[in-house]
Amino acid sequence: MITHEPTRASRTRRSFSAALCLSAVLLTGGSALAAGSSDSDAERVERWKDIAKSIFGDRAIEATDTLIKVDAPPRALDAALVPITLMMPEKDRIAAIHLVIDDNPSPYAAHITFGPAADPSEVKLRVRINNYTNVHAVAETKDGKLYEAVKFVKASGGCSAPMGMSDEEALKGAGDMRMKFAEGGQGKPSEATLMIRHPNFSGMQMNQITRDYTPARYINKLDVTANGKLVFSMNGDISIASNPVINFGLAPDAKGPIKVVASDNQQGRWEHSFNPPGPSN
Amino acid sequence: MPSMIRLIGAASIALAALSGAPAPARAASPADSPVNVPEPEGFWTGPPKGYPPKTLTGATVVDIGALDRLVAAEKPVMIDVALADRKPAGFPEDRPWLPAHRSIPGSVWMPGAGAAPMDPAREAQFLSRVADLTGGDKTKPVVTFCHPECWGSWNAGKRLIQNGYSRVYWFADGVEGWQDSHETTILKVDAAWAAKPAGEAQR
Repeated sequence: MITHEPTRASRTRRSFSAALCLSAVLLTGGSALAAGSSDSDAERVERWKDIAKSIFGDRAIEATDTLIKVDAPPRALDAALVPITLMMPEKDRIAAIHLVIDDNPSPYAAHITFGPAADPSEVKLRVRINNYTNVHAVAETKDGKLYEAVKFVKASGGCSAPMGMSDEEALKGAGDMRMKFAEGGQGKPSEATLMIRHPNFSGMQMNQITRDYTPARYINKLDVTANGKLVFSMNGDISIASNPVINFGLAPDAKGPIKVVASDNQQGRWEHSFNPPGPSN
Repeated sequence: MPSMIRLIGAASIALAALSGAPAPARAASPADSPVNVPEPEGFWTGPPKGYPPKTLTGATVVDIGALDRLVAAEKPVMIDVALADRKPAGFPEDRPWLPAHRSIPGSVWMPGAGAAPMDPAREAQFLSRVADLTGGDKTKPVVTFCHPECWGSWNAGKRLIQNGYSRVYWFADGVEGWQDSHETTILKVDAAWAAKPAGEAQR
């Protein structure tokens, strides 16, 4: 198993490119106003309606405070790497979740369907954010109903922020994976963090030297199983940050090996298996 | 390592200043540091993203406070030259692609109007549109902006100065500098600007 750390190296580089493009850093200080004017609020509501219609058609979506919650830093340090936490406390009712970043040009960031080997109470991932925007999380319950929660996030420039290295360098080792397990008591893992080395090129990043856009190349499908039983299946998009990291829960009876199959939109396909630490360790 | 590169960049500029030699206007390579970036001779023809200078000779550089005062006092013409989001080639048809350009309410969005070099027909179209917007009054205040570290609004301001506009304001912090304390709105590309003359190449 290849075990180099995908996040550390990229973090150093990201901080360099963030310093270079400064797109995520706000130059003005002072008091930041929350979305206030009714015109603007109405416009944001209208946009969400349009997006929801394009994803869910005419299905009704109810607001919820309990079925799904979305958390993100209100002001992101790096718009190309914004951590999002989705919490589903009534986990037994949840069949799938959808993450939508309203003002990203491609707003439908992720669709995650849970299987019997999942504990769907919490999912964490990292996304790109193009502009100050509402982030919507939609939970789909097992009885087929939709529930939404929203959070306003201040970040901008994430979709087009260059990676601060050549495309070749960014693609080196694409598909390498690591998985970390966290103990859930009695020596059993309750959650896992999957890290995949992949630039997830958005297709909106311009090579500063050639002034060509780096073609979009991103992980669009991720299937995770535990001893043959589905943990989750994710459809991803260009809004997922480079070197994707996703944190998910495992059902109490989930057994290893944990198998990950990742594929990208350019016919890349990678498969890795991980053995969670056993009770004897 | 990156900070070292920046330091070296800053040091070489400082050295050039000490030796009395003017800092070279490196027309094509972006500055390593935001400090003391020299103004290019004419337009900036290098990469569109990068550290611009703090100044634009012939224009007034405004921060959000100065812009607020200007807007309150005399309704300047506001020109946003930010590039439009580009749809990635091969983007799946079954996923929503819904770009929304958020900007300063009341602005006129002319994406790519800060390009250089620019096709002469396209440049004429830009100047004619600005003439419309200012009612032919070259003393009317005009603000150019895009994003932080975006040369487009610097070039657009330069283009207006070269064409006799006497009150050009450059809002270097752009949409990001605005949205921190003000509402934005989704703008459509200016209709007159969207009608492209034949044969123009937009960058």
